[in-house]
Amino acid sequence: MLLTRFWMVLLSLLYGAAVFVLFLAMSMYNRAGTRTMAERLSSDSQVVSWYLKEDARLRAAQLIPFAVNQQLARALQKSSEADGKIPTAAQEKVQVALRAANAKIAEDMTFDAVFAVDQHGRVVAQLGYQQALGMDDFELGGYPVVADALHGYIRDDTLVLDRVYRVVARPVEIEIGQPPAGAVIGARIVDDKFARELSTRTNAAIGFFARGARVASGAPEGFDKSQLDQIVGDLEEMSKDEAFREKGRSNMRVIDGLLGVQYSRLPGEAWALGAGYAVARLPDQVTSPVGFFQKSDDKDKKQANWIVAALMALGATALGLLFSYFEHTRPLHYLRREAIRLAKGELDQLHPSKFRGIFRKIASELNDGIDQVAAKGGVPRKAADLKQVLGDIPDQPQMSAFAFAGDAAAAPPSSVVSSPQASRPLPSAPQRGAPPAPGRRAPPSPKRDAEEAAAAASSGANAKAAQWRQVYEEFVTTKQQCGEDTENFTYEKFEVTLKKNEAAIVQRHAASGVNFSVYVKDGKAALKASPVRDT
Amino acid sequence: MRKLVGRYVFGPSSNGLSLASRASRRRMSWLTGAFLIGASLSQTLPVEAAKIRGKVVGFKFLRNPVWVEAQDPSRHLFSFREAVPTVPSDVRQLYPHIPKEICVVALAATAQKAPPPVLIRVGGGRTTPVTIVVPPMTQLSFQNTDPFPHRLFGVGIGTFSPNDTMRGGNRDWTVPAPGTYEIRDESAPSLRMWIIAEPNVAAIAYPSLRGEFGLNINEPGEYTIQAYFAGKATGPATVVKIDQADVEMKTPVTLAKVADKSAGDKKDADKSDQDKSDDAKSDDGKSGAENSKASDGKSQEK
Repeated sequence: MLLTRFWMVLLSLLYGAAVFVLFLAMSMYNRAGTRTMAERLSSDSQVVSWYLKEDARLRAAQLIPFAVNQQLARALQKSSEADGKIPTAAQEKVQVALRAANAKIAEDMTFDAVFAVDQHGRVVAQLGYQQALGMDDFELGGYPVVADALHGYIRDDTLVLDRVYRVVARPVEIEIGQPPAGAVIGARIVDDKFARELSTRTNAAIGFFARGARVASGAPEGFDKSQLDQIVGDLEEMSKDEAFREKGRSNMRVIDGLLGVQYSRLPGEAWALGAGYAVARLPDQVTSPVGFFQKSDDKDKKQANWIVAALMALGATALGLLFSYFEHTRPLHYLRREAIRLAKGELDQLHPSKFRGIFRKIASELNDGIDQVAAKGGVPRKAADLKQVLGDIPDQPQMSAFAFAGDAAAAPPSSVVSSPQASRPLPSAPQRGAPPAPGRRAPPSPKRDAEEAAAAASSGANAKAAQWRQVYEEFVTTKQQCGEDTENFTYEKFEVTLKKNEAAIVQRHAASGVNFSVYVKDGKAALKASPVRDT
Repeated sequence: MRKLVGRYVFGPSSNGLSLASRASRRRMSWLTGAFLIGASLSQTLPVEAAKIRGKVVGFKFLRNPVWVEAQDPSRHLFSFREAVPTVPSDVRQLYPHIPKEICVVALAATAQKAPPPVLIRVGGGRTTPVTIVVPPMTQLSFQNTDPFPHRLFGVGIGTFSPNDTMRGGNRDWTVPAPGTYEIRDESAPSLRMWIIAEPNVAAIAYPSLRGEFGLNINEPGEYTIQAYFAGKATGPATVVKIDQADVEMKTPVTLAKVADKSAGDKKDADKSDQDKSDDAKSDDGKSGAENSKASDGKSQEK
């Protein structure tokens, strides 16, 4: 069994190593996944930043139709010249000019609100900002983006007002070389629509936040947008992030192991207010070695070398089977064969030298056991139930059991008269190296065998008839003692029954004869048949 | 002038501190014009009050500190910022919007009483006015004119902690003692206001875009005319004697002779523009050098 055991240990070690490698691979995979996610998040964040900048430039270009509109410029100039109230005529003209210029903007580049301000920073007219309707003194001149535009600059900003706005502004010139008559400001609300649009163009899951709350979010297909709500719970902790505070972009953060996030500040006043956006990705990680199967797709499965894996498994199985065959099945089979031979009497004892390993020891110990039994002159065997062997037996005579001679445990009850041969001992096996046991017959010569056989046949028939007669008498006596009727119970009938049963028992058990004995069963007389075997 | 009782109000129709009820403000400004409703700092205006008229120049050399900070790329307040080449370079300098940011003050020889509550409008990314000079114990009423809340607070002022002021709402604060106070807004970083508490303030005025201003003086006497910008006195102080008649200051008040480096000009992204602006003429047609000669030291006007 050494090889089998060695093979089992080897397989266990290999199995342990495989599990260890799987855990190792899991750790490496997760680490690589984390690194990749950080790179992707950084890339997403950069792309969003570029997009916002590019979008601001493109939208600033959409303000050109406003800036070159002379009607608008003249009306703003009129308004700027008025230190008091904005002239109504100027307001109306600016409103008309705004509408006209706004109508020329392509649909995907339209603003949510457009403001025209004079040199004082007062809003002369506006489109889309319903909150300020009816406010005569509404102005924007204090914001750096508007002040810059009034001083001849084009720039963008992100304002956190009632909502978050991406804003672009440019001056409205009435004449080259003159101060601007005013400025025009275009605003885009940072809402879900904006975020969706941005997400579609950058393929990033993005959530905007301001004042500690998520204000908008958008995600590509396959990404559950509601997961971006998790950033709300992380904002307070994130605000302590040194990189976010100093560089405006946080390091990658993983929220509850479910979402990888990188935060960035929005350019403009929003920067100072801590408003920004978060790009998110789902972590590409496995939680257990089995997770690799869930992660793998058809392509991965196709690339895996199944043939090698199957051959290795088959090879390992074959080796294991081979080892167990040589070390277990084959010796066991040989032991069984030898045991059968021993049982048939072809062998006096097993030959330990033909066995190996544990089987050699078993054979040796079996031999010792046989020797022990033989030394004691045999051991009575248990009587077999005649009914189990022969099935139902007719009432006359009732024979419900049989027993091998010498089986004390199976002997009839004390009330039963046993036959003289019932306690005949089993023949003893020859003891190795020891003289023949007492009573054991010496091997007879052929001539004497023939004579003895003829004498024995003659005396045997008589003895059996006498024995059966004796059994019959005991049986009748017992029946009478049990109160049974014996009037028609003749010896002839009894003999027929015994002959029939004897023949059946001899045939079934390859016995040389049958001993019958009488006993009481369930208050009735019964016969027990015990097969007798030659030694 | 009419004797009115009410609150000092700053509005788009006024280039100075006017005394009018809020309800009558628009009507009054419509009737009298923005400039003439003037700026007299007293509880009552006697009909016989005189006016000091003058002009500030050189304000294009001043720099609005908030806007100058905002052009610093390291502050990340924009993703792109480009100059429009057709706009003159001197205009591209971030000089203040003087009708709101330059406060011209007439300082009396003696301490003055605190005026009625002064209305400060909060909206559009700034306060109106941005700089104000008042006697101590003057009550300021900050009114939110934006359609969203503001959260004003005084820098280092324990009695003016951050608090929300809703749309159209007011928040009052009384200037406790002489000194300079800065007000900011937690929800609008660009909003900065300076309050200078000066006991001798007799009248204040805000110039028009052209630099013209008028101070209403109640009592005859000698007054020192001083301009303030971003919480500090700017330009020379000019002593003016006034009797019953109005006084016209012959020499304009020069606020600055050269660009104010302390205001952040060194951070100006467009250096070439800066160089050009140094040579640019001020709004009264004189160069900065000429202005400096004209307003060197204290001058006497009568």
